[in-house]
Amino acid sequence: MEKKTISLSVNGQVFSVSTYVHKTLLEVLREDLGLTGAKESCGEGACGSCTVLLDGLPVRSCLLLAVEAEGRAILTIEGLASGPRLHPIQEAFVEHHAIQCGFCTPGMILTAKALLDDTPHPTEKEIRRALSGNICRCTGYTKIVEAIKAASRGEP
Amino acid sequence: MRLPPFLYLAPRTKKEAVEMLSRHRGTVGIVAGGTDMVNRLRQRLVSPAYVMSLKGVEGFRGIEEQRGRLVIAAGTTLREIGESQAISASFFALVEAAGLVAAPSIRSMATIGGNLLQNTRCLFYNQSELVRSAAPTCLKDGGQACSAIKGARRCSSVYQGDMAPVLIAFDAEAVLRKAGGTRRVPVAALFSGDGTHPLTIEEDELLTEIRLPFPRGAFASSYRKLRMRSGLDYPLASSACFLSLSKKGVIDRARLVIGAAGPAPLAVEGGAALLTGVRPEEADPHAAADRAFREAGAIDNLLLPGAYRKKMVKVVARRAVEAALAGLRGA
Repeated sequence: MEKKTISLSVNGQVFSVSTYVHKTLLEVLREDLGLTGAKESCGEGACGSCTVLLDGLPVRSCLLLAVEAEGRAILTIEGLASGPRLHPIQEAFVEHHAIQCGFCTPGMILTAKALLDDTPHPTEKEIRRALSGNICRCTGYTKIVEAIKAASRGEP
Repeated sequence: MRLPPFLYLAPRTKKEAVEMLSRHRGTVGIVAGGTDMVNRLRQRLVSPAYVMSLKGVEGFRGIEEQRGRLVIAAGTTLREIGESQAISASFFALVEAAGLVAAPSIRSMATIGGNLLQNTRCLFYNQSELVRSAAPTCLKDGGQACSAIKGARRCSSVYQGDMAPVLIAFDAEAVLRKAGGTRRVPVAALFSGDGTHPLTIEEDELLTEIRLPFPRGAFASSYRKLRMRSGLDYPLASSACFLSLSKKGVIDRARLVIGAAGPAPLAVEGGAALLTGVRPEEADPHAAADRAFREAGAIDNLLLPGAYRKKMVKVVARRAVEAALAGLRGA
């Protein structure tokens, strides 16, 4: 089995990882770097729980080979908070009860961050469209959308 | 689920890529965006010795105008296509279709080339190795059986790509390159109509570009897609329509193409003929859609029954034609 040593830039830090070429970015993040915020759920890129940001855009880390992520800036959910201070989107999710089991949450928050970075004041329609690739089995999405609206208004 | 092991190829130029395809002919799985191939690897539908990533290939992304044609590099993402002003101005249905594929984060990775060259799909075939092992090996999987139609000797797996019907409606051409040279074919010629081997691209060929002739005068296009949810899903029936007007205000070119109704996109010549030579106010979307309905086949091999999907071909075809006619009024 072929191995490669690659350099991955994750949350502003550069890691040198020796990995099998057939490992996905999701597997390397979780197993080699201990960053378990990104989750495997559907195993086919349909649910969004594996979402990370690659150069600011949300991608399915379960569909990316780790070796293909070399040279790109990767942001995982662990990279949002500054020490004990949560990111405003994370605060909004907490305040608005947008988290139940929490499994979809990292993907939802990162997708929301990418949206708000691109469109600081999205309409509800734009929010729902941006989230259309992230599935939640618990909340029914209402509170998630509310939390993102609040975050876009600079509210907690 | 883990991916199966493979050897990794990362060409930096198209020349390198086709040389690798030639050297390792028949044993290479290509990853462009990865949104199709990685799943098929995971499900062990394919087990190539090599996986070649096109992500580092120079000049493989981009949209440019070249002497009366819009040229889209095969590695251009669906997101880039959806956001392109140039495409929106002359090929609006392409923007519509790109925006309807899957989900935003998939569109950031998926490429037009990959979407075009996706394999056909079937509820029974597109499953993991474990699930498939519960039934006799099917025709598409190299066996003799069919789980969709008992005793079938032909595979009716469905081509569910969203971009192909629109590209065909625009008379687009595909550029295929191999180590020996390049050939151009109409996009429609990429499809064999055979569910077992649905694509005519050779094992040592690489799709490098899609070329679309600029329509002239007044024209309009549309794409309509039926799926269970309003996001994520592949089409269960779809239709692309292109209409252009002569200087006298008569429809002089019409294209009606149906997707997800068989192993290849279906150009409904009879439907297009009904729309040609008439003024837009006199055009009959119902009659054109009825032709599409008669020609489309659909069996019970996707999430919704074939009979229902066939009826829906008429609905999406009618909607696509109506939208294109409305577009002509605004053109």
